[in-house]
Amino acid sequence: MKKYIFLFFLSCSFSVFSQEKAQNDDLIGLRAIGSPANPKVKMSWNHYNDYAMISRFCQDLAKAYPDLVKIESMGKSYQGRDMWVLTITDFRTGTANRKPGFYIDGNIHSNEIQGTEVSMYTAWYLAESFASVPFVKQLLQDKVFYITPTINPDAREDFLKNPNNANSPRSGMMALDDDGDGVADEDKYDDLDGDGNIVLMRRKSATGRWKIDPENPQRMIQVKQDEKGDYEMLGYEGLDNDGDGQVNEDVTGYYDPNRDWGWNWQPDYIQRGALYYPGTLPETKNIKNFVMNHPNIAGAQSYHNYGGMFLRGPGAEEDAPFYVAQDAAVYDYFGKIGEKMNPGYKYFVIYKDLYTVYGGEIDWMALGRGIFTFSTELLTSYKLFNKNTEEGRYQNNEFDEFSKLLLFDDAYVTWKPFKHPQYGDIEIGGPKKNYVRAHPGFMLEEDAHRNMAFTILHASQMPKLEVLDLKQKPLAGGLTEITATIFNQKVIPTHSAHDVKYKIERPDYITLKNANVVAGMLVENEDLNITKEQKFTPQTLEVTNISGLGNVKVRWIVKGKSDRYTVEVDSAKGGLASKTF
Amino acid sequence: MKKLLLIFGLLSVNQLANAQNAYQNHSQLTSRLKALSARYGTNASVQSIGKSKGGRDIWALTIGKGNVSQKPAIAIIAGVDGAHLAGTELAVQLAEKLLGSASDSVAKLFDTKTFYIVPGVNPDAQEQYAAKVKFERSGNDTDTDDDRDGRMNEDPFEDLNGDGLITQIRVEDPAGTYILSKDDPRVLIKADPAKGEIGKYLLITEGFDNDKDGLFNEDGVGGVNIDKNTTYDYPIFVAGSGEYAASEPETRAILDFLYKNINIFAVLTFGPGNNLTEAVKFDKSKTTKRIITGVLEKDAAVGELVSKLYNSKTGLKDAPVLPLTKGSLAQTIYYHYGRFSFATPGWWTPKTLAPKDTSKKESPKVPATENEDIKYLKWAEAQKIPNVFVNWQAVKHPDFADKKAEVGGIAPFVKWNPPVSFLAETADKHLKFLTALANQMPEIQLLNVQSEAVSAGLTRITVQVINKGLLPTSAEIGDKVRWAQKIKTELKLSGNQAIVSGRKINLRNALASGEVQEYTWLISGSGSVTIESGVPTAGSKTVSVNLK
Repeated sequence: MKKYIFLFFLSCSFSVFSQEKAQNDDLIGLRAIGSPANPKVKMSWNHYNDYAMISRFCQDLAKAYPDLVKIESMGKSYQGRDMWVLTITDFRTGTANRKPGFYIDGNIHSNEIQGTEVSMYTAWYLAESFASVPFVKQLLQDKVFYITPTINPDAREDFLKNPNNANSPRSGMMALDDDGDGVADEDKYDDLDGDGNIVLMRRKSATGRWKIDPENPQRMIQVKQDEKGDYEMLGYEGLDNDGDGQVNEDVTGYYDPNRDWGWNWQPDYIQRGALYYPGTLPETKNIKNFVMNHPNIAGAQSYHNYGGMFLRGPGAEEDAPFYVAQDAAVYDYFGKIGEKMNPGYKYFVIYKDLYTVYGGEIDWMALGRGIFTFSTELLTSYKLFNKNTEEGRYQNNEFDEFSKLLLFDDAYVTWKPFKHPQYGDIEIGGPKKNYVRAHPGFMLEEDAHRNMAFTILHASQMPKLEVLDLKQKPLAGGLTEITATIFNQKVIPTHSAHDVKYKIERPDYITLKNANVVAGMLVENEDLNITKEQKFTPQTLEVTNISGLGNVKVRWIVKGKSDRYTVEVDSAKGGLASKTF
Repeated sequence: MKKLLLIFGLLSVNQLANAQNAYQNHSQLTSRLKALSARYGTNASVQSIGKSKGGRDIWALTIGKGNVSQKPAIAIIAGVDGAHLAGTELAVQLAEKLLGSASDSVAKLFDTKTFYIVPGVNPDAQEQYAAKVKFERSGNDTDTDDDRDGRMNEDPFEDLNGDGLITQIRVEDPAGTYILSKDDPRVLIKADPAKGEIGKYLLITEGFDNDKDGLFNEDGVGGVNIDKNTTYDYPIFVAGSGEYAASEPETRAILDFLYKNINIFAVLTFGPGNNLTEAVKFDKSKTTKRIITGVLEKDAAVGELVSKLYNSKTGLKDAPVLPLTKGSLAQTIYYHYGRFSFATPGWWTPKTLAPKDTSKKESPKVPATENEDIKYLKWAEAQKIPNVFVNWQAVKHPDFADKKAEVGGIAPFVKWNPPVSFLAETADKHLKFLTALANQMPEIQLLNVQSEAVSAGLTRITVQVINKGLLPTSAEIGDKVRWAQKIKTELKLSGNQAIVSGRKINLRNALASGEVQEYTWLISGSGSVTIESGVPTAGSKTVSVNLK
């Protein structure tokens, strides 16, 4: 603690922010450790935010911290909403877009709402902690974050404001014909009782294969093979709106924004949810343009729900060879620590451990752009009672028990009778739309923090380059041999091995200034003097990669003398570094 | 080149349409299409379906009568790979011939069919034909780092002999792998050590190695080739393919156009690919995997049929083998858009028969020339086409300071783009094929409509939906594709009528030629009901039936 306070005072002297206040909060015991005390932007993290609230939060944060947070729109959504992106860095140190960048988005699936709050929490925590947490200060001096709380704002609004279940809409709001009858979105769910939730329909039936759980009247269970049931399940609340003999067969959307990306994109008959071509959606197009225009993005995180998984690509088995061992080792490093940081979460590979995804966002980031990218399935039933269930992720009764014991039955709509025009006398009831997939309020802040911490670990290990040393050796004829060592202090390389193979991003440039360079070369083995000459632009040497905690050595032959050599390193993803000798 | 520019300057736009040997630039093409739509106003309209990266309109000409979007259609697409100018010219000539045809059978087609013609998908690239320095350019105006070295356009061609044409350079070098062909010493061929041949020349493109990477002219202007940028089997990170599939505005424009016109039954593409003179064979192993990479069985049979039709109607022979390439539009049209996709260069070098030697009795032997360049030069010579070959002439080349370097070779564009005057005949042949294909298109009809009284107020109605065309109502692959519609048969009720048995809406997959689908309903009530059946690719029919 003493050491902490000491460091704290040290950082105060360099800061324009009032440290006194934060310190006082600590001293009088009001500050809970790990949380910003007395934040400039007052937020509570036990509720969800609609589009107006997200917009106001983004604007408030930018206004409160003009030197740390800038807000811009990366473009309009399908229905014309601005897609806000917050650029968070210490704008007074360096050039924002030349620092290694970390991209965060949430809510690509509109019903998977809490990715937005985790993204917002991250932005808020970084800005509010800059002055008081030296690690965060250093982080924002070295790196830049681009945070887009929701990349599906239209359908998020639909999820929050209109009747839905936990799985709808998932899609965006562009109306499509799902049942092939030539009409779009004509048979959606119907909120029969007008309570804002789309729950389940059940009907008493002598031939049914379901019964009420004797221990919990809210819960329906399937009868055993040799047992007679007394209920049949009729799916989600709805009518046959178009009179075609089917119920709810053409709902809002339907397509999957996470099948709209330009890596191993496959059509709808192979990958359900795909559109005409990768980037059919304006939202996808906006993000692609943003990423293409920010070649400094070296790490990325996309938030989904549900299941408690830190996922890496590939989404499809065919792409497994593209995740070569060196790159997998980087993911493994984060994944293993992540499992410790967030109990109940597992580090998984999408195609192996979840299901196949062609044309997903993170494969485009990772394989299309060479960005180390995770996708996290937020929340797991482990969090309910801090233990793993032995049943499947949707079959267990822990949610029922949790609702009873900790939420006092708040999470379910109690079964009630309804006269259905097609099904006759039925009952409707079941989990509310904001249960099972979305965090209960009191758990949201904790999981936001744990997930943010994982993402900050990831971001903090983006490359940090340093010119370590410069050796001079006189050669005959008034020439001097100059050898420089460039070191990457972090785990993530300037180029993934996949990037190196396909030359996705340009090489790193290492330039010797204030010198009359006559030749330049890459040093492959300094001790054995094995080098490879670069004939073109010898002053600016090009290296394909500077690996994690690795170094490269470069050499110039210069004519004449200079008492002030400057070595400049310029890496798209690794940022800038320079040193004068 | 200067002479050509002079001619361009002298001729008015209208006269240019008649200029016999030069291909048109984008503004000339625009005027020509607009003139066409003005002249045939009721049967033709032209619209821009998007702009190229360089801001040029991509034009679609719609030919047909009345409600064109409600009729089954054939689309003709060209100029996707910008180096193929002949395709663009052929597509426009086909449109002109279709509209100008005096034949009743062609005019009758417009009652039931629609034709969409998109002659220039990649206008930026095609503009290079009219540029000061001509080179065969496939890519649009997007800035690309073709060799992915971090430098943009740092190693372009250089016109070393100042003739306005980018050809080749041969360098005498013991390390070279080329020799002069015995059949035509102007042409260089790879030395074959198995035949005891030893290389004598290096052969490169016309220009310097500006960035000293050992490669010549690997990164000049000319961005993304739209024919490498579409979604099926997209080639990753290769020169001209773009940064990701459908990255280019031209790609999205043509795909949006296709996907939104759900009435398109088949697409004919003019370009550097050929599946028409010889159809793609069915290979089951390619159709049973998760990602389908082979033509489905029923579609292969249709391909065979259409190939025969093409060969017989056009009478074209000795076609080049040009498999469809990765990321090409013609492949995406089949595998992703789910439509029949037919591709042909339209024109290729005809075989040149040796002149008849009358002093000999036996028929002359035709030398089996394998080399495409020699074959072309022979044909050009026989046809007396000028300026197809730049004779080798020595130049100073700094990358080969002490060596003998010469510029020369076949002029750009000529091999696949003959003088325009040669295309009129080709267009006539393709018009025959196109009209024959259109006449074989599917047609939905409703047959044997029966209405029986089952009991008072209860009627059984039976109807047969049949495809009376010679081709299926849609491609088999279309059965899988969400954006290709199913055949929809709907029973429409009114008043006190109700369905007692049967579905109101019935959807089914494609009907083969002559195939029948029967539907039956039990209906209570009185009056008459309507049955409508159809699919956008094969038309629709409606019948009214009285309840008994």
